[in-house]
Amino acid sequence: MLKFLQERVNKSTKEFDALADAERAKAGAEGTQALSQRQGRVRDLTRKLAAKLDKDNQSEGGR
Amino acid sequence: MSPRRIVCGVSLALLLGAATSAPLAAQQTQPAPPEPGAAPVQVQNPFKPFDRARFDATVQKLGATPEQMKVFAAEIDEYGLSRAADRLLRSILPAYDAAKKGYEDNDPTAALALTKVLAAATEPLVRAHARYTLARLFRDSDDPQRAVEVLGDYIGNDINHSPLDGEVAYFYAQSLADVPLPELAIPRFRAFLQWFPEASERYRTAAQQQIADLERQRESRLHGLADGMSRTRRDLKKGKTDNPVQLDQEKYLEELQELIEMYEEMENQSSGPPSGNGQSSAPANQSALPGGEATVGNLNKRPSLADRWGDMKDRDREKIESEVQNSLPPQYRKMLEAYYEKLGKSPGK
Repeated sequence: MLKFLQERVNKSTKEFDALADAERAKAGAEGTQALSQRQGRVRDLTRKLAAKLDKDNQSEGGR
Repeated sequence: MSPRRIVCGVSLALLLGAATSAPLAAQQTQPAPPEPGAAPVQVQNPFKPFDRARFDATVQKLGATPEQMKVFAAEIDEYGLSRAADRLLRSILPAYDAAKKGYEDNDPTAALALTKVLAAATEPLVRAHARYTLARLFRDSDDPQRAVEVLGDYIGNDINHSPLDGEVAYFYAQSLADVPLPELAIPRFRAFLQWFPEASERYRTAAQQQIADLERQRESRLHGLADGMSRTRRDLKKGKTDNPVQLDQEKYLEELQELIEMYEEMENQSSGPPSGNGQSSAPANQSALPGGEATVGNLNKRPSLADRWGDMKDRDREKIESEVQNSLPPQYRKMLEAYYEKLGKSPGK
């Protein structure tokens, strides 16, 4: 799932970057802001997964 | 291998994006890169105990009346020493008070107003409070790197004048953790705990928790990955979508793919499939994007400093930009140009 989400963010970033200047201006800051938010969501999920593994490893180590 | 460990591995592989399940594996360290903006760790404590007599003499020199000194003394119990000191400075320095109020009200002019106070200040005490508030403003604006720079200037130039020193030491470490630069943040959290035993319990507890979290995180490849994604999120927010950003994003995919392969390999080496978590009867060979265009749009709107900036009239924004250009020393001008440029790239309502 994380890989899938990251692939989508990567694709959107490339598409945004490839836009002509006029189109980028039209999309404005909201375009990169949305990309940033989506990258942030992938980051949050990655962090949650890592935190869950930390917790599981701690439980495992405590036995 | 225990069933619990295998079950963890199953959900991990699926979450990462693998088509098949795999067991949990030990993760490796991925140290953060060195950061030029961060000051080197000082082994010797540069902070001295708060000198109340010197503080009193300075604020009186700045114009504090006996009545204001009396209020200050009374407010220490109510607000704590650092808050009371800041309130005293606000009461004797109208420009600082206005700038601080702007910061509290999320006013886009606050960064400029605070920087003007900073540039005009001759007393280290005033610079210290202006820098502290400016750093908090940058942190609140999702710019911990600039907060690190401003707090680094505080530590380099203005320590031992204000009771804010302890909070500055804490927020310096916290800003490094936010960048994220865990390798630099951990020793600074430790230094804060060692050098400020009398600091607020809230900050001390938070610092201890941060050390525990960061130490655990630096052992984890997934946390390292999340740290990298944090930097990219901030780059995108600044409007950067070019090759360096795209290369970083490609690296995240490679890293995820490596983790998937690692878990798959470990699963193949394990004694058998976990109970109740067998493979799909028709798994995909690799995870892939579904058809259709990826969209770029606004997913989540909420009022912010950027909204306030966007709501301002053009002439007001131009006035601020003109003041940044014409009324500040070069070192502060560059800092605020970058700040307002970033604010301008954030979407309004």
